[in-house]
Amino acid sequence: MPHPVIARALEQGRGFLLEPESYALCQAYGIPHAPFATCRTAEEAVAAADRMGYPVVLKVVSPHILHKSDVGGVVVGLRSGEEVAAAYLQLLEAVSRAAPQASVEGVLVQRMERGSAELVVGGLVDPQFGPVVMVGSGGVLVELLRDVSFRLAPLDLEEALQQLAETRAHRLLQGLRGNPPADIRAVGEMLVRVGELLLAEQDIQELDLNPVVAGPEGCVAVDARVILRTEGSAGQLPLA
Amino acid sequence: MSELGEAPRTARSLDALFRPRGVAVVGASPDPGSPGHQILRFATQTHFPGAVYPVHPSAREVAGLRAYSSVLEVPGPVDLVVLAVPARVCVEVARQIAQRHDERGDAAAVVVVSGGFAETETPEGRALQEALLEPLRSRGIRVVGPNCMGVLDTHTGVTTTFDLGTYPEGGLSLITQSGAFAISFLQWARPLGMVGLAKLVSVGNMADVDLTELVRYLGADPHTRVIGVYMEGIRDARAFVLAAREVTPKKPVVVYKAGRTELGARAASSHTGSLAGRDEIYEGAFRQAGVLRAHRVSEFYDLVRVLEKLPLPSGNRVCVCSAIGGPGTICVDEVAASGVLQLAHLSEAVREALRRVLAPTATIGRPDGYLDMTGSIRAQTHGEVLRVVLEAPEVDAVLLLTTPPAFLDEEEVAEAILSAYRAQPEPRKPVLPVLTFGDTVARARRRLEAGGLPTFEFPDAAVQALAQVVRYARYRARRSS
Repeated sequence: MPHPVIARALEQGRGFLLEPESYALCQAYGIPHAPFATCRTAEEAVAAADRMGYPVVLKVVSPHILHKSDVGGVVVGLRSGEEVAAAYLQLLEAVSRAAPQASVEGVLVQRMERGSAELVVGGLVDPQFGPVVMVGSGGVLVELLRDVSFRLAPLDLEEALQQLAETRAHRLLQGLRGNPPADIRAVGEMLVRVGELLLAEQDIQELDLNPVVAGPEGCVAVDARVILRTEGSAGQLPLA
Repeated sequence: MSELGEAPRTARSLDALFRPRGVAVVGASPDPGSPGHQILRFATQTHFPGAVYPVHPSAREVAGLRAYSSVLEVPGPVDLVVLAVPARVCVEVARQIAQRHDERGDAAAVVVVSGGFAETETPEGRALQEALLEPLRSRGIRVVGPNCMGVLDTHTGVTTTFDLGTYPEGGLSLITQSGAFAISFLQWARPLGMVGLAKLVSVGNMADVDLTELVRYLGADPHTRVIGVYMEGIRDARAFVLAAREVTPKKPVVVYKAGRTELGARAASSHTGSLAGRDEIYEGAFRQAGVLRAHRVSEFYDLVRVLEKLPLPSGNRVCVCSAIGGPGTICVDEVAASGVLQLAHLSEAVREALRRVLAPTATIGRPDGYLDMTGSIRAQTHGEVLRVVLEAPEVDAVLLLTTPPAFLDEEEVAEAILSAYRAQPEPRKPVLPVLTFGDTVARARRRLEAGGLPTFEFPDAAVQALAQVVRYARYRARRSS
């Protein structure tokens, strides 16, 4: 049985999960993510931000938008209620200009996380290899650095730690230039769980956690994207 | 990872390929310019104890052997049938092979050398391949090819290739999607006796027998100590990786992977999708399975022969002993850059023992783990130095760089090195001799190779091979613990 969020997306003919749905899936498989709330008004967003503590980030939630920052759907570094309220309106306006046909289900408020390193953790189902888990240097430089390492799922913790040690990001995690070392074992466990998730949820084509912020106290996904395997066409294609 | 796939059936059915009671060569014509004729000649020139039967529609005799008009006429037991006739004729003969199998219970394996099948990428070619396979597969008759060179087994003397009749016996088995790749290597290695062969299988189109099944089979083959694979494309890469993973704790699997496949278009690509070139996945999967991946052809050549000859090192501490300055420096650089090897930290007792055997002009341990023995070294001194270094508990492997100058006897140098190497108690530590200047020192190299040491022409290549071997030794220690 697929996880309920996947079942619902497939029912709606949607080829990917909304960000809150992706986190729900992560939650179910023990993959840690940053605290968040999905809000429908600026007031709700301010209240949520006050609750979780600043700084926060706002992100648009839309079944038609996969690449949120391409349409102005992400605002980062908000340090007060006033900034959140202003950014909320600014975000909706930018999105409606860039993607006028997109229906907006809400705005996600998420606490900004700090750590020693930003990683990309991912997975996909390859036609020749089946479920595959990836880890590497994440953040905005991910495509430029191409610092990634792959393993077939399932993998155990020891294998995941080997995989991680093959990346240059590993040095960052060990604590470069006076930074405290990150909890490397926590990252390894995240890789193991991504493998379990891919094996259990056979409707997933790709999973992308980027960035995952890793620090001394563990690691959390602060963005999540799940692309589903859909029959024939890609189902409902996102606008952005 | 073992829970990923179901357990494969046992590969005993491949025995007919390597240990047939008799071999029939269909297409063995009296024309010496035909591949079938050459296959027959090779097949009869080895020590294969069984009978070899030429099959030809009209000839009464081929290369001095009585010929038969069809596989059905061949009198004695025939476990292996080689097809070297046009594709359409192969299909007909396949039906006769099936009939023979039903009537007499033999004809368990077929090697199809002929081309003109699926590799043409035409509907006709694909249909012919299906028609060829149908009567055979339904009876469990195993098929190698089509479009291949088939098999060579140095222990049983079976050979079905037209390019390589026989080869010195040894521990390397090669599985290849290109006959030319494997044979180029073997021919290159032959003059200096750089490697010994156990089995060679050229798989061609892999219509039935494939790389995965062969890796597993050779993993259990007592004559095979190292498996070398030349791979282009395989349908089920996961199955191959799982099979290799079963084998690597027992014996090394070295792969050269050619042909980087483009990823298919994706409906919506996330970062993971755009970063996952198929080659990057191969890289990770091979590491996960303990497969040694050669990234260059020369690296493949070096790895398989080092692993065929030498024991695995038990650690990563290397002593570089050089009679030739520059190449010694290159080795030290490469050891430092390898990311896995380190120069051995020599104790004062070892340094003292080295001072006693080396000339006063020699430098010992600058840097630590490096000996510049100088070009004035005598033949016997090579052996004396090597004995000291190999006895040192702080050394796991030795790189020995020397090129005997004209005033030294090449074979004396080689003998001195070999006797020091052999004097070690088991398990021995590996020694990699680097003799620059290629085959101008062929006598020394040939003697060393015959004595079980793989020789190198280039110092950096020797270090890189050793680094890969150390990585593999670590993997194996981890898997078996």
